[in-house]
Amino acid sequence: MTLALVLLLILIGFAAGTFGALAGIGGGVIITPLLAIYFGLPMHQAIGVTLLCVIATSTATSSLYVERHVTDVRLGMTLELATTVGALIAALVAHSINRRTLAILFACFLLYSAGSMIKKAWRSRNAEREETIPDYTPQNYPIGLAASLLAGGFSGLLGIGGGPIKVPVMYLFMKVPLRVAAATSNFMIGVTAATSAYIYWGHGDVRIDIAAPLVAGVFAGSLLGARISPKVRSFYILLLLIGIAGWLAIQMIYKLLTGGFQ
Amino acid sequence: MNRQDVAADRVLSLTLKAGAYTAFALIAAGLLLRIIMPLGSKITTAGLLVLLATPVLRIIAACIQFFRERDLKYALVSLGVLGIVILAYCLGIQA
Repeated sequence: MTLALVLLLILIGFAAGTFGALAGIGGGVIITPLLAIYFGLPMHQAIGVTLLCVIATSTATSSLYVERHVTDVRLGMTLELATTVGALIAALVAHSINRRTLAILFACFLLYSAGSMIKKAWRSRNAEREETIPDYTPQNYPIGLAASLLAGGFSGLLGIGGGPIKVPVMYLFMKVPLRVAAATSNFMIGVTAATSAYIYWGHGDVRIDIAAPLVAGVFAGSLLGARISPKVRSFYILLLLIGIAGWLAIQMIYKLLTGGFQ
Repeated sequence: MNRQDVAADRVLSLTLKAGAYTAFALIAAGLLLRIIMPLGSKITTAGLLVLLATPVLRIIAACIQFFRERDLKYALVSLGVLGIVILAYCLGIQA
């Protein structure tokens, strides 16, 4: 592994960590396709490495969001019961599902999250930033737990934290304020990703030479992202992420149509 | 926000900070060392293992904190999550 490659991976991690921390989505959406398409890693290895990056984003950002009392720790722990079961089941069956199916699932997921971010951006285009968190009581726990089971499953299959599923569910169905939902999702994805990561690590699917520089970059980027988040208008970050996710989805679909990921 | 929540948040954010900075320091040191000597990759692996262990440590910290607050419901929830994660860990080692 050349020094230039190590530096490139650190830079990619830094960018993914910063944007992931700002948008509250972990950054797996950026890293897995990059590793699969441009570094030629098999899907299982790309996901194994990404799971470590998701843990890094979650740990770094949560250390700040929990300290500022933005995270709802009790709600997070409850939903983790469902996400970890989902992640466990998915990681166990991931090796019997072929790569093409995983890649198709990932492309669908990229399009879905691009769509939900476009909606979010449209709504927040003129929104004022919430300065204080309003009082709330989480509602509809059954729907929240069911969605968390699904989100955990996606994490195990695709190497992502499932944030783009959990955040809207907590916000729309459980009536949790958006900032709390994003911070709580960020808190949960570390444990969910770890559940799958142990299984990928056991299968030897975590490439340490690639994971180490990426994780170092993600750490630094996430800490920066969490610190500057109150000062940046999320509208612009959402636009950027929509562009990245949409573009990667197109690349992935193109590779699938031309017979890639066999 | 009551005083117990503040205490739980402090315990959890300290655990997360300790894990994050230890893992980051080990990985960064390993990457730098690898340029001059082969020992670097072992230090890097140690850093990644600290990273993998941090979510579990954070569940244990939450569990202890909820028991100390006599908040039995959430102490049991934390124990449940811990049990599932340990099951995943055992399955990962066997695989």
